[in-house]
Amino acid sequence: MYEKHYCWSILLRLFHWMFALSIVVLVVTGFYINTPWTNTMLEYSQSWPMAWMRYMHFVAGYVFSAAIIIRLFLYIFGNAQERIWDVLPITKRNIVNLFKTLLQYSYISDEHDERLGHNVLAGLTYVVTVLAAIFQIISGFYMLYPEAAFWEGWGVAIFGNQQWSRYIHHLLMWWFMIFAMIHVYLCIWNDVKGPEGLISSIFTGDKFKHTKA
Amino acid sequence: MADTVNKTLEPQLNRRGFLKGCTMAAAALGLSDAMIPKLVEAAASAERPRVVWLHFQECTGCTESLLRASHPDLAHLILDVISLDYHETVMAAAGHQAEEMLHKTVTEHAGKFILVVEGGIPTKDGGIYCKIAGKTAMDILAEVAPKSAAIIAIGTCATFGGVQAASPNPTGSVGVMDLVSGVPVVNIPGCPPNPMAFLGTVLHYLTFKKLPLMDSLNRPLFAYGRRIHDHCERRPHFDEGRFVEQFGDEFHKAGYCLYKVGCKGPETFSNCPAVRFNDVDVWPVSVGHGCVGCTEPNFWDTMTPFYDRLPMVKIPGSGIIADADSVGTKVLGVTAAAIGIHAAVGVGKRLIKGKGKDHE
Repeated sequence: MYEKHYCWSILLRLFHWMFALSIVVLVVTGFYINTPWTNTMLEYSQSWPMAWMRYMHFVAGYVFSAAIIIRLFLYIFGNAQERIWDVLPITKRNIVNLFKTLLQYSYISDEHDERLGHNVLAGLTYVVTVLAAIFQIISGFYMLYPEAAFWEGWGVAIFGNQQWSRYIHHLLMWWFMIFAMIHVYLCIWNDVKGPEGLISSIFTGDKFKHTKA
Repeated sequence: MADTVNKTLEPQLNRRGFLKGCTMAAAALGLSDAMIPKLVEAAASAERPRVVWLHFQECTGCTESLLRASHPDLAHLILDVISLDYHETVMAAAGHQAEEMLHKTVTEHAGKFILVVEGGIPTKDGGIYCKIAGKTAMDILAEVAPKSAAIIAIGTCATFGGVQAASPNPTGSVGVMDLVSGVPVVNIPGCPPNPMAFLGTVLHYLTFKKLPLMDSLNRPLFAYGRRIHDHCERRPHFDEGRFVEQFGDEFHKAGYCLYKVGCKGPETFSNCPAVRFNDVDVWPVSVGHGCVGCTEPNFWDTMTPFYDRLPMVKIPGSGIIADADSVGTKVLGVTAAAIGIHAAVGVGKRLIKGKGKDHE
């Protein structure tokens, strides 16, 4: 028997898909902006590939930033699964879950420490990703608005100069790609190991828990 | 042989050259033409500010670019506007006489003279790597700087440490800003900086009795307020996706954007595309070489390799130096392999043990 549990609010699901889709656009257009792979000598026509790629990158950047604002809001004001206290290893319950998850993921133990929200390992990885995203946003806006005193002040204080912010921006992009790969794999892995509708939960918000009947 | 020297280097600054120089400075400062008479008046006033010009760890290229610009009027104007009491490269005095002059200006005109610093200041091992008249650069700066009205750090060495501050910075070289507090510091970075940025700052100070607006790195906004990329004459080629692939190719000959051969214009603040150099309207990008970002902090470390977009990734302790994308691709590849192994172990375990208890 399976019992239906409401887990993810509509706002969290909105965050997830804004974040995921904007990352795809940002990575592709970001690669183009860094290493434009097209070149043209057709001076009699106009296509503005770099201008378009930059435009898409900036639009996706705003979607990405909005997604992060939503996630930060939910870390404080979200439901029990969405709040940051649920994933920080500061309570006994969370520390135990972190170790049990590590043991399970490394095939040492078969025990699945079940809980409705994120396991602590995943939750911590998401916290790190949100932090990386904040650095992406600061470096991104510093490069987009080089003359704005606010971004210039923060950009110089954190990165020193524009080139270093570009460098960090580029290196952190690789984190998002590596993260996405592991994230998708572990979602499938969890769905196979302990079917609870994990993947569909990010569309519907509902998870299914096995009841000992 | 034609007497080229006397033709290009007039010994006296004539009125025409004087007005021309003031007008150029007004344009560089972004002032309206109504302000030009005020600028001229200030520049022509009998009260010329006393300037002490200190040389530390540097190549004297900043002074050279100032004095030997193909626009002699500009150099004359600068020397006409200020009273240069001490400048090791151009002063007639030498030895004790010169040091006497420095001492006199610093004590008799304390709080009134402008201090110009050219060159980085080594701080390691008590600052012994740069000594003048038996005193370290650190000591000279500590003695002169607090008595000045304002400090102009000219060139990337005096502003951010320059080439000698490049990693691993063997002499612990730093810029003026890092050592001096309590006296306003204007940074005029560049390797060398445009003399117009220096002249503009001095004329602004003379005319308005205050220093120009500056960014968070103390660079005057009139000269360092915009990125090179945003005013570059090759910018349309960038937006249109027309790039030089390598130096000397057909795209290079067509004058396309230098982005892919490492131009640092998109990350460098300077007015080079607008003011240009040497009175012949050239600057690096106009003659087909990318910007190297010489007005930015730590440019020797952050802007290199000069012909690539991004700095190399140095993995500490391993001696590995590679570009960001090849490191990224490798890490991503290792991750993919790890996922494959993880999945294979899971499948293998299930084949051996059968389905776990949680799947009844």
